[in-house]
Amino acid sequence: MQGGSAPREPAPVLNTSSTILNMREKEKYIEDFDFPFCDESSKYEKVAKIGQGTFGEVFKARARNSNKKFVAMKKVLMDNEKEGFPITALREIKILQLLKHENVVNLIEICRTKATLHNKYRSTFYLVFDFCEHDLAGLLSNVNVKFSLGEIKKVMQQLLNGLYYIHSNKILHRDMKAANVLITKNGILKLADFGLARAFSVAKSGQANKYTNRVVTLWYRPPELLLGDRNYGPPVDMWGAGCIMAEMWTRSPIMQGPTEQQQLILISQLCGSCTPDVWPGVESLDLYNKMELPKGQKRKVKERLKPYVKDPYGCDLLDKLLQLDPAKRYDADTALNHDFFWTDPMPCDLANMLAQHTQSMFEYLAPPRRPGHLRHHHHPPGAQPKPAQPPQDSGYQDRVF
Amino acid sequence: MPYWYYDKKDLQNTPSFRDGIPNDSENRYRKEGARFIIDTGSKMDLGYNTVATGVVYFHRFYMFHSFRTFPRYITACCCLFLAGKVEETPKKCKDIIKVAKSLLTEQKFSTFGEDPKEEVMTLERILLQTIKFDLQVEHPYGYLLKYAKCLKGDKAKLQKMVQMAWTFVNDSLCTTLCLQWEPEVIAVALMFLAGKLSKFEVVDWNGRVSKHNAWWDMFVEDITMELLEDICHQVLDLYSPQTQPSGGDSPTQTTASKPPKNEKKASVTPPTSASPVAAITKPVVTPVKNGSDVKLEPPKIDMRFTYPGYPAMPAYPVYSAPPPAIPAARLPIPAGPPLVYPEPPPAPPARFPPVNVPPPNYFSPMQARGPLPPRGPIPPGPPPPRPYYPPP
Repeated sequence: MQGGSAPREPAPVLNTSSTILNMREKEKYIEDFDFPFCDESSKYEKVAKIGQGTFGEVFKARARNSNKKFVAMKKVLMDNEKEGFPITALREIKILQLLKHENVVNLIEICRTKATLHNKYRSTFYLVFDFCEHDLAGLLSNVNVKFSLGEIKKVMQQLLNGLYYIHSNKILHRDMKAANVLITKNGILKLADFGLARAFSVAKSGQANKYTNRVVTLWYRPPELLLGDRNYGPPVDMWGAGCIMAEMWTRSPIMQGPTEQQQLILISQLCGSCTPDVWPGVESLDLYNKMELPKGQKRKVKERLKPYVKDPYGCDLLDKLLQLDPAKRYDADTALNHDFFWTDPMPCDLANMLAQHTQSMFEYLAPPRRPGHLRHHHHPPGAQPKPAQPPQDSGYQDRVF
Repeated sequence: MPYWYYDKKDLQNTPSFRDGIPNDSENRYRKEGARFIIDTGSKMDLGYNTVATGVVYFHRFYMFHSFRTFPRYITACCCLFLAGKVEETPKKCKDIIKVAKSLLTEQKFSTFGEDPKEEVMTLERILLQTIKFDLQVEHPYGYLLKYAKCLKGDKAKLQKMVQMAWTFVNDSLCTTLCLQWEPEVIAVALMFLAGKLSKFEVVDWNGRVSKHNAWWDMFVEDITMELLEDICHQVLDLYSPQTQPSGGDSPTQTTASKPPKNEKKASVTPPTSASPVAAITKPVVTPVKNGSDVKLEPPKIDMRFTYPGYPAMPAYPVYSAPPPAIPAARLPIPAGPPLVYPEPPPAPPARFPPVNVPPPNYFSPMQARGPLPPRGPIPPGPPPPRPYYPPP
């Protein structure tokens, strides 16, 4: 394990006139060098494309070695990078290396393609993850998948556990949405896609943080971000958790605004007007006077969600997560202590329910929910919009677990 | 995760050595590369964390490749470029190259090839694979401040000691210490050295337990005097004239024919005379800077030796009067105990002059924290208050 394990280097062919390698020699050296810490991606065999991350495609693949284990491989897209390896990918790697938890997707390794003349001696990199059979958006879009109340509780409990863990480690996810919540066939939930995640610090007095507010898929974006807050924190993820929780019953995102302005209006119609009364300090947010904010709207969270949710504890927890004022919004710990999780029916394992479904369900592979309905793969501004074209054979073509 | 620590035998049998480069030369290349990263980083207002991370990447890189395959200055640029991104203080590649060009002789810059930016881009992928994407690196700085908080004694003296230790940590980047010992150990050793030289004797500390013989027993187990002295000597050797003066040599000139200029293995062989007193009385002369090859030096490369106060010092005891040019007020140590340093330190003492403001996205606080154990099903007690939004 010490330096003794240094690689067996191919002896570089040295030019006698100059002992610094010439270009050709260096290329040969790079091509032949057996990076001891970074395996070649050819150890996996691609099976199907299963998604499109914030910075590249995602494939299902299986190990070529004896265990034939399935993995998800996320390609690091570098074609248009002027500044080398993308800082977003570096962040994701750094964060994933730090976070090791049952409810956070596990990064196994980073693989590379061999550097050859064909790629101008520049490898392509893949992040290799444990494979998860489903994502929550895919499951919710399939009418045959039915969640009992206990199963919904289990999903939310795991999701909040994951958030509790990442927030305790001072990480913000910043892209909570059903498609980024993976579920294994054994019913274990994993938060995924940390492509927009970052470390946060609690702002010291007089020194506000200046994070970008151009994050979080629009439908899951909390009001403080829509109003231009740049000193936000974990509550941005808790809003997303609330949206996802409601979606467990409504089966589709509860506020599907086409623009930031429209999204704010939808939020006001559900959660009431954004006023300093209910949200002290909202008036000092950058966009408070620049966005149209509906006045006189009453808060109707419980009223509007009751027909779907029915369970009064569930309604109450939703009410606490969908608080306009981030300071009043429940944090993950408080939410986990809510009666919702501690009353009958208690959270119950998902494995049995999922055992009835033998196909992978991913939002990316799911057919459109309604004919003619254009599926939105909302990406935060700044990321390129990705065409939501499933592979030609489409649908649940991926039948092998 | 890979294991990044090597014993001295490994550090002598490196890819460069197997490629025909003597240890002395390699150590000089490492020193020059590190110094170049420090200078380039300082000139670009990069924080000490970013600079130190870049240097650690550099040292790790050459545990797998030879200085003959990859010339040191462009590797150094690449390491700084990557460290900038990792530490959330990104600099454009072309700007780094621009500064590098301004610091290097034409001859040295010629190793960057025809299209320096493209070279750095290609090299970055090799670097990432070589260091196994093990991006997050810890440095002794944070430990230094943490440990200093616990020491009792004269505040002014403590402050001087911390300043001096900070300088030693900076300079230790030019050695292979980061390939030998964890940052905690280096911090302890260099505080020990600074304490000796500034005559700050630690007699008491917060959290003292009877079984502790020295303050560092509180933080790191099994540190022997031999180990401390070995580490101190490796740093002190940097100031010794016995180390080869750096020249413009590249592996081209040194490898084939020239034997090492002197027998002493600068930082690999521990000095046999091993007592702190020996270290202190060891005469140290400011290295020759006006030699014939001075023009080959990047302008700032001898910054270490022009450290205010140092040049005048004929021997170590002079250290005990810390450099007057370090403004005492720059390291705020409140009057009353316990010492409370803001985190991260607002003003590192001296040495990276423009680098006083920690990067805004200072990453290290989180990495020191071990992952929390998974939550049990029953939440324990009332939730601790977590003020995400500080009171106005």
